[in-house]
Formats: sequence, C-alpha cells, structure tokens
Amino acid sequence: MKAWLPSLLRLALVVLLIAFVTNPDWFEPLLKPLTENNAPVIYNQGSLLTLTLLHLRIVLIATVAATIVAVALAILVTRPAGVEFLPLSRSLVNIGQTFPPVAVLALAVPAVGFGEKPTLIALFLYGLLPIFENALTGLTTLPANVMEAARGAGMTGWQRLTKVELPLSAPIILGGIRLSVVISLATATIGSTVAAKTLGEVIIAGLLSNNLAFILQGGLIVAALAVLIYDGLSSVERYTARRMGREAE
Amino acid sequence: MIEIEGITKRYDATTVVDDVSMIIEPRTIAVIVGTSGSGKTTLLRMINRLVEPTAGVIKLDGADNRSLPGYELRRSIGYAIQGHGLFPHRTVAQNIATVPVLLGWDKARIKARVDELMTLYQLDPEAFGPRYPHELSGGQQQRVGVARALAAEPNVLLMDEPFGALDPIIRTKAQEDLLAIQKRFGTTIILVTHDMEEAVHMGDKIAVMDAGKLVQYAKPAEILANPASAFVETLVGASERPFRLLSLGRVRDAVEKGSAEGEAIPGDASQRDALAELLWSGRPALPVKGADGKPLGRVTVDGLVKRAARPA
Repeated sequence: MKAWLPSLLRLALVVLLIAFVTNPDWFEPLLKPLTENNAPVIYNQGSLLTLTLLHLRIVLIATVAATIVAVALAILVTRPAGVEFLPLSRSLVNIGQTFPPVAVLALAVPAVGFGEKPTLIALFLYGLLPIFENALTGLTTLPANVMEAARGAGMTGWQRLTKVELPLSAPIILGGIRLSVVISLATATIGSTVAAKTLGEVIIAGLLSNNLAFILQGGLIVAALAVLIYDGLSSVERYTARRMGREAE
Repeated sequence: MIEIEGITKRYDATTVVDDVSMIIEPRTIAVIVGTSGSGKTTLLRMINRLVEPTAGVIKLDGADNRSLPGYELRRSIGYAIQGHGLFPHRTVAQNIATVPVLLGWDKARIKARVDELMTLYQLDPEAFGPRYPHELSGGQQQRVGVARALAAEPNVLLMDEPFGALDPIIRTKAQEDLLAIQKRFGTTIILVTHDMEEAVHMGDKIAVMDAGKLVQYAKPAEILANPASAFVETLVGASERPFRLLSLGRVRDAVEKGSAEGEAIPGDASQRDALAELLWSGRPALPVKGADGKPLGRVTVDGLVKRAARPA
C-alpha cells in the first residue's frame, strides 16, 4: 500500500463526518431507501452537530476524570508506602468493570436523577480499568538500571516520579486512555436511555419508530468518531514512545 | 578519605556483608573484587546509602554519611553503573546535567561543565549534546554514563562494573580514559568488578570479598605475591600471576644499561607488554626510549623473567 493512502482515507473520513453532522440534508437521497411510509430520513428532534458535541463532551469529562483517578491510584500503589493497597485498588477497579453499564445506569438514576450524571458515573467507572492497568504496567516495568541511576543521582521520590517514571510510562498510559475513550464512545450511546443528550438518542429514536435511517446515522457517526480518535491517539502514542526512547521495544 | 567501620548488612537471616572495615585514601582508586553474591555491590551501595547498613558506620572525610538526607548525600557522590542507566527520554547533554540541575546550578555553569566533560570524553558537544542515548554506540553511552557521574565535581566516584557491558577493545580504552580523568580531577574512586585483570590494572589497592567478608585489602603487588587465602589465590589465577605482576611495572623501571637492535619500546609501556614483544619477536633484548624519544637503555628477557618471579 502507498504511504499516503492511510492519510488520505483519514482525511476523507474527517471531511465526510463534518459534512454529515453539519449538513445532514445533503445525504438525504442516500438514506431515503432505508425508510418506510414517508418517515423522516434525517433525525429531526435536534441537531446532529449538537448531539455529536455533547456526546464528545460527556466522553471527554468521563475520561479526564478516570485518567486522573486511575493514574493517581497507580502511582499510590507503586510507592513503597502504598504497596499493600495494590490488591484492594485492583479489585475496586475490577468491580467497575464487572457491572454492566446498564446496571450502573439503573442504580445511579435513583441516586442522582436522570440526565448526564448517571451516564458520567457509568463511563467513569468503565474507563478506570484500562487506564489503571496500563499505568500499573508502565510504572512497574521501568528499566531497572535507569531507576537505579535516578536514585543514585540523588533524585527525591517526587523527582523520580515526575522526571523519570511518568515520562517513561507515558506511552503505555496513553494506550490505556485510548482503549478507555473508545469504550466510552460506544457506551455513551446507552446514556440516552436515561435522558443524557448523546448520539444514542438518534439510535433509540430509530429503534422506537422502526426507522433504519436514524439507527444507521447515529451508529455511523459514533463509529467514525471511534475510528478517528483511536487512530489519532495511536499516533500520539507512537510519537511519545519514540520521544521516550522506547521505540526499540 | 572514606572510612568503613564494622559495616554489616543482613536481610532477614542472610548476612550479605559481614563486619567489613577498610580505609580508602583520598585521590586513590580502590577496587572491590569478588564473585557474584560476595556482597561487593551491596558494600558499594552502602557508601551512598542506596542500601542502609544493619550495623557499622561509614565516614566520608570524617563525617558520618548519615548526617545528610540520603538524596543530598547521593548528589555529592558520583555513581556509575553497568549498562550506564542513561535516561532514554533525555538528550545526552540533559543526562550529563542531571545532578547539577538537581543542585540548582545556573545555566551557564551547567553548560560549561557539560561541554568540558563531553570534550574530555571526545564527544563533540555540538554534535552529541542534542542526541538521545539510543542514538549512541555502546562505548559512547558508557562515556556519557561516567560523564554524568562526574558532572557535579564529586570528590568520590562509585562505579559498579562500569565496563562490564563493553567489548574488550572499547573496555581497555574506557579504563585508560578513567585513569587519565582520575589523575586530572583527583577523584577518589571505588570500583566494583569481578575481573581480576581490571582490578590489578586499575587499583591502587584491591579489596577481595568472599561470602560477605573482606578477605584481603592490599596493594595489587601484595595480593599477587601473598594471597591471604586459597580463595584469593584462585581469584588471582595461578597461571596468570607472573604476568599480572609484570603488568604492574613500567618498562622504565626495568631498564638495564646497554643497547639493542630494532624498534624501541616507550618507557611508559608495561613490563608485560615488553616481555610479550620480546617473546613474540624472538629477540633477547629491546631498546627503550623515553617520552622525549631519547634512548634510555634496554630491557632483556632475563631481566624481566627475574621480575616476574614471586617476590621474596
């Protein structure tokens, strides 16, 4: 394959996505055959652009929060003082993963009400595990002689963490964030069952009115976002890995 | 001066270092030799407190090494390890500047020091400063590792098998460089190795460790001539002994009156090299020249063979 082909495909997908969420009417003829009984072809109870931005916002907030908590936890349990909390924090984070997101939503709604909040809680809990696991892997597989040199040079614990450990594990932590974002992008659609404004709304509206065009446009936008973000974060990851001198691995 | 007094390190029931006492004179190189598991690395790491001793005291120029917080102590002591341990995410210049930055030196002083060390180690600061460690060869990485250890002008440099990962040719060069730099800065060096050859070549004094105990601590010639135990004798290697003894002496000191044919050998060369040259070329004598190229006399096979014999 030619080297420029992937970039061209990415660019085409970005252009297509932007065109679709800003001017969905252009695509009406394409989706028309999927509807029956003169049902509306393009989602008409809100702008696709607004829903896409809200969808991204909810994922962003949940991922940032999950990253902060997961990385902080991973740092804590890899310090000498926190080693005994390692099993505990592992199981706490695993619980977040064993709950199905729907169950988390159902449990969160009575506590915090309908809307964005229960969705944020579900996404946050879901995002924790991959980031935590990766941060843990990154922080525990640092080259031993580099850590020895850092101690030997007279760095304090804090200096070793910020100047050596975190920079060197950054590519692996980024890998965890990438997984977490993609899971959240997909899971956020379920949030619309509890009235969170996400692209799930379009899919659910399609399911309720048996409108294949709605289902498809909601699903495709989420899929395109997931592919693009995954791709983008992968290249950030590769770049960081190169910068941290870990490319040889 | 480094005074090690009754140092012991125990992990649970195992005693890794057992009541070791020794004094390392300033501006000298002390080499700690031993097999793996002899406690030599642990002993070294107790000097800069990467390991805290179970019992005993280590004094640096009279001051207990526990009078400072560990990290401050370590900033004042150079530390170079096998496989160099360079920070892969920092450039060569940033790596060398590690300790000066921690000490808060100003930028100009750091840059001057980094440039000085890189030049000393034959690494062009302009070309190599901005590179990352993985872009360097093994020998260059090792030099950067030692330069980093020396950056903050420490009086004491601890080295844990610093040449272990190098091929023999680069290794010899690295040893010569270290000796030259030690003379230049007057640094007190404590070097851990399992290689007797390296110990005899580098050390002003050699400490032999076995199973946590200091078996013998003496000048190389003394260790070769009078090994304190069967273990030391094995470590020295009975078949290598005469040649190691010769490697300690300079040709200059073995010069006899007279002249000889052929290419002259410099007076600075080791007597071992002179003997090797004599044996290889099948000649009974070699002319010797001084640093200025003037003839000093000659060395003979007979003369060198006498010097290789066990001292009385």
